[in-house]
Amino acid sequence: MIEKPKGIDVSTEVAPAAEFEFECKLPNGMHARPASRLAEIVSPFASDCLLTNLRNRASADVKSVLATIAADVRSGDTCLMRVEGLDQVAALAALRTFIAEELPGCDEPLADGVPEGSAPKLPRGLESAGIGYLSGLPVSGGIGQGIAVVLGPTAITADFAQAAAPNPNSEHERVECGLAGVRARVEGLLARHPAGTEAAILKAHLAILSDVALRREVARRIDSGQSAAQAVVEAGEHFSGLLQRSESANIRERALDVRELCAELLEEIYGPGLQTAAVELREPSIVAAETLAPHQLLALDRQWLQGIVVESAGATSHAVILARSMGIPAVVGVVDATRLLTPGEDAVVDGNRGLVFPHCPAPVLRFYRREREAQDRRRAALAEYVCARAISADGVRIEIGANISSAVEAAAAFESGADGVGLFRTELLFAHRNTPPAEDEQFAAYADVVRAAAGRPVILRTLDIGGDKPLPYLKLPAERNPFLGYRGIRIYPEYREWIATQVRAALRASAIGPVWLMAPMVASVAEALWFKREVASGMGELRKQGAAFDARMPLGAMIEVPAAAFLLAPLCEYLDFFSVGTNDLSQYFFAADRENARLAGVANVRDPAFLALLQQIVSEVRGRHKWIGLCGEMAGEPRHLPLLIGLGLDEISVAANAIPGLKRSAARLSGSVCRELLGRAVACGSAAGVERLLNSAVPAQDAEPLLSTSLMMLRSDSRDKEEAIGEMVNALYAAGRIDDPTRMEEAVWARESVYATGLVQDFAIPHCRTDAVSANSIGILKLDRPIEWGSPAGSPVRMVILLAIRESGENGLHMKIFSKLARKLMDEEFRRRLLEIDDPGEMISLLGRELEGIAG
Amino acid sequence: MKIVAVTACATGIAHTYMAAEQLEKNAKELGHEIKVETQGALGIENALSARDIRQAQAAIFAADIEVEGSERFEGIKVIRVPVQDAIKDPKGVIAKAQK
Repeated sequence: MIEKPKGIDVSTEVAPAAEFEFECKLPNGMHARPASRLAEIVSPFASDCLLTNLRNRASADVKSVLATIAADVRSGDTCLMRVEGLDQVAALAALRTFIAEELPGCDEPLADGVPEGSAPKLPRGLESAGIGYLSGLPVSGGIGQGIAVVLGPTAITADFAQAAAPNPNSEHERVECGLAGVRARVEGLLARHPAGTEAAILKAHLAILSDVALRREVARRIDSGQSAAQAVVEAGEHFSGLLQRSESANIRERALDVRELCAELLEEIYGPGLQTAAVELREPSIVAAETLAPHQLLALDRQWLQGIVVESAGATSHAVILARSMGIPAVVGVVDATRLLTPGEDAVVDGNRGLVFPHCPAPVLRFYRREREAQDRRRAALAEYVCARAISADGVRIEIGANISSAVEAAAAFESGADGVGLFRTELLFAHRNTPPAEDEQFAAYADVVRAAAGRPVILRTLDIGGDKPLPYLKLPAERNPFLGYRGIRIYPEYREWIATQVRAALRASAIGPVWLMAPMVASVAEALWFKREVASGMGELRKQGAAFDARMPLGAMIEVPAAAFLLAPLCEYLDFFSVGTNDLSQYFFAADRENARLAGVANVRDPAFLALLQQIVSEVRGRHKWIGLCGEMAGEPRHLPLLIGLGLDEISVAANAIPGLKRSAARLSGSVCRELLGRAVACGSAAGVERLLNSAVPAQDAEPLLSTSLMMLRSDSRDKEEAIGEMVNALYAAGRIDDPTRMEEAVWARESVYATGLVQDFAIPHCRTDAVSANSIGILKLDRPIEWGSPAGSPVRMVILLAIRESGENGLHMKIFSKLARKLMDEEFRRRLLEIDDPGEMISLLGRELEGIAG
Repeated sequence: MKIVAVTACATGIAHTYMAAEQLEKNAKELGHEIKVETQGALGIENALSARDIRQAQAAIFAADIEVEGSERFEGIKVIRVPVQDAIKDPKGVIAKAQK
């Protein structure tokens, strides 16, 4: 039987219930977020806590989030809180304090992770064609093409005509059996995916399956004469509807979980005929859905899944996180996608720009074919750096590791050439669930990563949570200033069992391959020693159990609290390695919240003061022969690389997709020049001075010649000006000479709009000066068929000469080359030669002769 | 004959130099001696000295904008044409200066 709601049967053995009334002052009522805080407050107590909304007489066991939301407490409603049980005095006091002090603060807007900004724009090459498209939020990059497959909603259709009034007892039983079946299935899945993102989601589902209020709603409806199906449908709709109305995007996304589980429950009870059968993909496909549950995504054949389009908006939904980790292009928040995409028709998803093309006329296919070719060429061009070591021109080596948050990302990281995992954030393992993960589950996740690393080190950071990154089951009071609060290693003594479990799991993984373990937020030697003792005791336990581990597993600390930077001498005595977390270190160092837009320029990692701090940290650690890496966002920006190499770091750790590019950049740099540059940067008076220094120190020119065969495109089938410019921009992108093709293309068009550059008969010289360019370049496009350029001269163009110059530190190079070319093109003989040449090498030598002395 | 010229277009990035090139090339073909000052995005290049101007029989301003330092040319014949004329019909422009 489904258990009876708590708090209704009054036990005679305890003191009379204590109660108090309060008025809900939350502007948006008791939505999911305050409700979940309320549940956290009461869960440690044994007493029953019943909330009654005096407006509608709805009651809720506040230990159930779903129930509290369902009581529909609105702003201004008066509620009765009734507490009853052995610890009711303490529970009542905790509730009173919470409701008086914390609850009113529960309603601050929650960031949705949906960036504000203009709607996505069509690329130039498709603008004029009048092609229909949908737009949304790009959440996972890349371009996907395939036939549209529209997933039926996980909607629960209440289409059950009952011949006879059901017998409540048998219906209760059906639901119980169904729940047991679904639970078993979820647990089975969990056994197959014991770690990482999938596991976290499955755990969350198990929690919903046992939500007291959900089960009570189902039971109540059955008691009132409904069939199990009707009861499940209605209860599911009821709760998902309530969650859907939440202000918080995170909670709205949980509504999907409820609907999906109810659908699974129905399927368990009535067999699969009730539901849309699982979709089987048989060819490259774009999958569109109103909402997409992680289960649905995992059920799709990755081999054929080319892109995902979802109507609901949520950059942080579980399915989106999975899509990103699998590298599947995805656009969310696409209004009416399931209606506008026609099953079986070709569709294109542009996960870079946030565009979806439900129909693919030839221009769209052609445009994206060309763009995909460029991406493939770029990947191929970078491939040589994937396996290469990051090593400067004069032999200074820096390891480039990957930052990951889940085991599923590890394989992609190593495919991108990671020298190791520089930061495995373990928080995701603990998120979206009700209890911390067990040792075996953590071990499985860590072991997966260690195996993928195949001998390369995996730096695992123990749990970094607290007020800034709350977990529902972490019973921490709200803090006025969570970033300066109870977080990181500071909470470890209180949650010692969690950390002990994590340490054991990490130690066991160290038996498989190198694991380095580090603690976050270390600010004192005592904390480091506590951590070290904890690891020693974990080793002791494992030894007793006879479990294998690496007794010399390196131990380290994040350097993110400025105090730690001045304790490095003693810390080096106890620890083996360090990793600088520049995100937190900079905001603590400058006392400036990095998420406060008005302080955006304050916590600047390029500020000479910060660079001096880094310099001191690195030289102190290196001087003591310990290992030091850097894993903040600072490391991901290619233009910081000279400073980071100059610092003498052993390693930097970045997002996987940035690795090949950084390895290539490293190869262009000289270690001694970098050291000298850092010295000058530290001596600058301001961040602006450092910026100028970095800009003038563009290393690109030395290593990349202005002219290269990959940019001599002497057989182009471009059909118009848009395509021609697009083709050249793509070529620069493929050659790694620009990193942001959209910005580059806009810069070229900005000049074209002032006046079309079809200067001379047969020739156009589009050009731009922008920092989207990382290596100055001249590209040549010889057209098979002349195209219109829209110049005043009006003559069609047979050859396009694109001039792409980096803005910073360019010293007039752009105009020198441009004016020289403009002059030379006055020479008919020169023009004739250009048009005749069909060998890239010959083209380069002709242009090279003319530009000698200008381009260096 | 000796000619001096100044080219300057509105944006100063292409036509200034194209016009200069055309005037230089065609004047030489016609057997004249010419020096062309460009007033473009790169600033003033190949600046005409007082002596250059004094020795010239005519000056050509192929300019869509005000020529900087036009007072330098007081006392000699100045032909003013749009930049495009110098690009499209440099010989015609030179012929005007000869008249």
